[in-house]
Amino acid sequence: MIRFDNVTKVYKNGTVAVRNVSLDIQKGEFVFLVGPSGSGKTTCIRMLLREELPDRGRIWVAGREIIHMPKWRVPYLRRNVGCVFQDYRLLPNKTVFQNVAFALEVIGRPKNVVETQVPQVLELVGLAKKRDNLPSELSGGEQQRVAVARAFVNRPLILLADEPTGNLDPATSQGIMRLLDRINRTGTTVVIATHDAALVDWMRRRVVELDQGTIVRDQARGVYGIDATSGSIARTEVGARRTS
Amino acid sequence: MPLSADYIARETATNLWRNRLMTVAAVLTVAVSLALVGAALVLKQGAANAEVEWQRGTQVEVWMNPTSSPSENHAISNELAQLPYVHACSFHSQLSDYHEAQKLLTTSEFSALTPKTTPASYRCTPNQPQDAQFVVNRFKGQPGVLKVGAPLQQIHTMEETITVLQWVFVAVALVLLLSAGVLILNTIRMAIFARRREVSVMKLVGATNWFIRLPFMSEGLVQGLVGSIVAASVVFGLHEVLNSLSNNSTSVLAQMRLTGWEIFGTDAIVIVIGALIGTVGSAVAIRRFLDV
Ligand SMILES: Nc1ncnc2c1ncn2[C@@H]1O[C@H](COP(=O)(O)OP(=O)(O)O)[C@@H](O)[C@H]1O
Ligand SMILES: [Mg+2]
Repeated sequence: MIRFDNVTKVYKNGTVAVRNVSLDIQKGEFVFLVGPSGSGKTTCIRMLLREELPDRGRIWVAGREIIHMPKWRVPYLRRNVGCVFQDYRLLPNKTVFQNVAFALEVIGRPKNVVETQVPQVLELVGLAKKRDNLPSELSGGEQQRVAVARAFVNRPLILLADEPTGNLDPATSQGIMRLLDRINRTGTTVVIATHDAALVDWMRRRVVELDQGTIVRDQARGVYGIDATSGSIARTEVGARRTS
Repeated sequence: MPLSADYIARETATNLWRNRLMTVAAVLTVAVSLALVGAALVLKQGAANAEVEWQRGTQVEVWMNPTSSPSENHAISNELAQLPYVHACSFHSQLSDYHEAQKLLTTSEFSALTPKTTPASYRCTPNQPQDAQFVVNRFKGQPGVLKVGAPLQQIHTMEETITVLQWVFVAVALVLLLSAGVLILNTIRMAIFARRREVSVMKLVGATNWFIRLPFMSEGLVQGLVGSIVAASVVFGLHEVLNSLSNNSTSVLAQMRLTGWEIFGTDAIVIVIGALIGTVGSAVAIRRFLDV
């Protein structure tokens, strides 16, 4: 579903944000991308959305090579890749319902689709009762749920999350993780960039660790803070999981 | 992808309302500049129409000295009759010119005249309007001739005035059109800025570039169109004024009146320019300020 092949990204100021990264993520996987601040997690997410282009290497998303994809195709790529951020990015003057509906309207989905899909996804994220509230009337956790609903309402193949719990307390964060897990169980591939150790340890899912732009660990049922030397064991675990 | 007309209409209306002051300024500037363009076009066509009328009525007037002798009068009359390029002449006696002057001059001017001091005249129609100048040259300074005049010269001055006026209109209109374009560009820039959050979400969820651009494009188009429709009504009003003038007088202006089709064509040009200004203004703003 996602494949990085020897990807290197150097920003204009000379910072090497991602160095020789190769990574395979299968359909339906749930993957944490961990690492300290500045290790290149956000850069990877931005390259998957084609907001940034790598300097070397190739990237496949949903069976398509996206580096040489013509510009006009990029919107169609993004319809297959939902994304949520630490700062929610909701429209403050639209209600919960309108925020989610907006994502369907602007890709030209007809009214009847909007009217059936939006209530469904609001039910899924547990906000059916708050559909007519403005974002400012919601808690941080609820706002992030709206953002997840917006990213998921078009049923993308992949859901990306960049520090989705960065602004939330631990209990609320766990709620968001449960929600992402539920979405993952519908068959959606989920990739979460985070440095929230407690959450990663709690979920026990595949962990890919970045350090200064290189992968130092890839572990099938990882925890956050494992030493890089266990990486080789981790890769065999991943291999076993894939063949099963 | 179906581009929902409903969505674009709603977004355009919201943008226009949010930016209403700038919108009004842009629309008014478009209206004033295009009204000038329209007026210049009407003048040009009016002058072309009137020229035919003016030339058809062209006469050369040979004014005799009030003290001229009958033999001098006779010589002139004979010569006029022989000239091949003179179609026909009529003789106006001192008395009949005196009565005509009574109608044309103000009372104070007229009070200085008597039938004895009024010049008699020959009024001749040349075969071709341009032959009038030959007649003028031939009789100027002949014994007994006071002066020779061809109203063609007046017409030339009139046409020159109209041409100058027309170019002044076009120059002012061009400056105004440019500022109208800049005003539209600026309203669109402000709309893009006001909606930067929406635009970034649209990009994130995979709206196509055209879907993002179209509401802004249509906003500029609406401003250009509304302005040009105002201008088109002004042009139509001008046409009506010229028409009513021609019904109750024989003034020069009246001869400039246009046909309905000519007005229709002028209005069509005005509206096309308005639409163009709106489209170009918003296209430039989108290229420069909307990063899609
Ligand atoms: N737009 C940018 N221009 C230049 N350097 C950048 C830019 N974005 C990120 N970087 C640098 O690239 C490195 C990786 O950043 P990032 O991908 O944001 O890491 P993370 O998300 O893991 O904190 C950092 O050193 C950061 O300073
Ligand atoms: Mg980051």
